[in-house]
Amino acid sequence: MSHHLFLLSPSDTPLYSLTHYSSKPAQTTATSPLASNLPSWSTSAFAGTLTALSGATSATQAHHAQGGTVRIGGGQDRHVIQMIANASLDVIEEIVRKDNMMYLKSVDKFNEWTVSAFVTPGNMKFVLLHEARNDDGIKSFFHEVWELYVKTMLNPFHTAHTPIRSTVFDARVRASAKKYL
Amino acid sequence: MHAAPHPRFSVLSASAVQSSEHLSPAASSTRFSLPSAPSINTNATASKPAVPRQTIYDRPLNKIRAAEVSASAFSFLFSEVVQYTQKRVNGINDLERRLNTLGYRVGLRVLELMSYRNEATAKAPKREIRFLPALMSIHTQVWRAVFGKPADAIEKSVENADEYMIIDNDPPITRNISVPRDMSQLSCSSFTAGIVEAVLDGLGFPARVTAHNTPTETLPNRTTILIKLEKSVLDREEALKT
Repeated sequence: MSHHLFLLSPSDTPLYSLTHYSSKPAQTTATSPLASNLPSWSTSAFAGTLTALSGATSATQAHHAQGGTVRIGGGQDRHVIQMIANASLDVIEEIVRKDNMMYLKSVDKFNEWTVSAFVTPGNMKFVLLHEARNDDGIKSFFHEVWELYVKTMLNPFHTAHTPIRSTVFDARVRASAKKYL
Repeated sequence: MHAAPHPRFSVLSASAVQSSEHLSPAASSTRFSLPSAPSINTNATASKPAVPRQTIYDRPLNKIRAAEVSASAFSFLFSEVVQYTQKRVNGINDLERRLNTLGYRVGLRVLELMSYRNEATAKAPKREIRFLPALMSIHTQVWRAVFGKPADAIEKSVENADEYMIIDNDPPITRNISVPRDMSQLSCSSFTAGIVEAVLDGLGFPARVTAHNTPTETLPNRTTILIKLEKSVLDREEALKT
């Protein structure tokens, strides 16, 4: 199971991104249990076999008919992941105008990917692509990322367009991803 | 006669070093870098990596008591800011614009930090999406976070629906500034206007914010922060009403 996190500035410049492979098994049956227990990088070779074996949901099957590039993992599909995250920005923008919550649960769905988002008062967007439902974990994760982001932002050399390159920030985000996702 | 005191002096000093090293090795190793104290040197280097450099990520964001900045220290800093800016501009408008830009950078951070402090403990953190509550929170919370007291009034312009005013009877940042007569239009509260503009922008209410002196008989320092909203904000408010 993999998670993809993107931090986007108010003008939608990506400042930070993280791909996290969780060792935890899927908590719901939303994805096929066999697929989620296998390491995600191995599924590319066996994608067809795997869907056949595990009785994949109609969504994934329909998707495989289209070309089957999304569920590969490991870096090859980076552009697809980025596209899904970017596409969800429109939906987020619409919700942000009406909903006064910072944590927006599953704003968008694309095949097996669910997109959750967190918007800070300064209109900074945290976008997370995930496969299984894990509302509480994601909420706690976003909360920690928020705290780390506020701390980053207090640095006078940080502007809304500065990519976040701090190793400490990276390590902390990874640690909290490990803890909650 | 010239040579006689020299060896004695050197012997004395050598023994002095030795004895001081013997008595307080720590002090001697920090004062002079003596090669004869390797054990102390390794101690010093060994203790360094044990305490890694503290970063901003290690410090809590919550407000600690006595975290207030001295008003006189700030006055000095702000006077330098104004002087620095004044050397690099031509005209009052330019000066106000620059002060506004500086305030904007502060405002971005004020907004994020203030909301974190207010909302982090809440179960479901919220943002402001309506304009009037946002304006109220600027009037009370932003002012309290930045100046330690709420602003004195909010007014809505009678002539223009898109203009709002925040009024401070005695802005703390300009308390020690007296503007020369030939620059009487200048309001150094442009800095505050920049803060307000950043907060409104962040919350999604783009506006042009300016500061104006509006003295009265009893309140010579009275300042009005004028907010001129963009049309999109009014349209959105209209849409949200239903």
